[in-house]
Amino acid sequence: MATTTAAITLTSDLLSDNMSVSTSTTCMKAGTTADGLDQMDYGLVEIATGDQFDLIGATPTAGKASKLYVKNHSTDETYYVEIMIDSQDIGRLYGGDWMFIPANFHDANADIEVTAVTGTNKIEYALFHEGTALVAS
Amino acid sequence: MATTCTINISSDIAPGFGGISESMTLTQAGTVTNIDSTTGFQRRKLSATSAVDLITMASELIEPKDSVASKVYIKNIGDGRGNVDKSVGVTIGVKAEPIGKLFGGDWMMMPLTCIDADDLTATPATDDVVVIEFVMFYEEA
Repeated sequence: MATTTAAITLTSDLLSDNMSVSTSTTCMKAGTTADGLDQMDYGLVEIATGDQFDLIGATPTAGKASKLYVKNHSTDETYYVEIMIDSQDIGRLYGGDWMFIPANFHDANADIEVTAVTGTNKIEYALFHEGTALVAS
Repeated sequence: MATTCTINISSDIAPGFGGISESMTLTQAGTVTNIDSTTGFQRRKLSATSAVDLITMASELIEPKDSVASKVYIKNIGDGRGNVDKSVGVTIGVKAEPIGKLFGGDWMMMPLTCIDADDLTATPATDDVVVIEFVMFYEEA
């Protein structure tokens, strides 16, 4: 079985009693306990300002347990990308920010859409999944 | 006053993949000033398949600033009694848009708009008891 693990350590001193969370998950196929995600798509793209782009070209099978990591590698803190799914605004990743989400691509419109603001943003992404609809040549 | 977040991803799917290890300090939009507000940790116990708001943006005691650098961490911790079922999922959404399903033990970290209409929702796939743990970091309006 392919094994993919994702761990996070989150600390904050905003409250009097400091917050600290450390957890890890093994990324499994949807609804299973014995079979891990076994395919991945990993890349780095530079996104110019203006148009909205689909971050993932070949959309994974809908309704599965795909996991998506995205990081904005821009070094200017004023640069950001707007993240949208199916035209719903999710939020902004500023330079240095990352996100890690389950992405179930529930229908053909549920792409991960990014729009660069302020300048050209360098975006790293890694999608762990269990199959895509490949495009015939 | 700093909030930091580190992710480590390892995988043997592709032999050449060396893993990902990245940290971020949560800052206010477009600056290097630390983010300054949080909801603190919260838990919601769910036992029905109906959608519920984890965060109702218009009802926060302190109004979050819209469309800046807010982030939320969410984890499906199982039934809250130590039983974590990888086959039981909860769909996390923003407004009416499903983002993806957190199965038992899965976690996520993502940005939020905090716009009043963009509530953070959770919809369990079954009526089994499942507990969602979450914390939001934001800027005050």
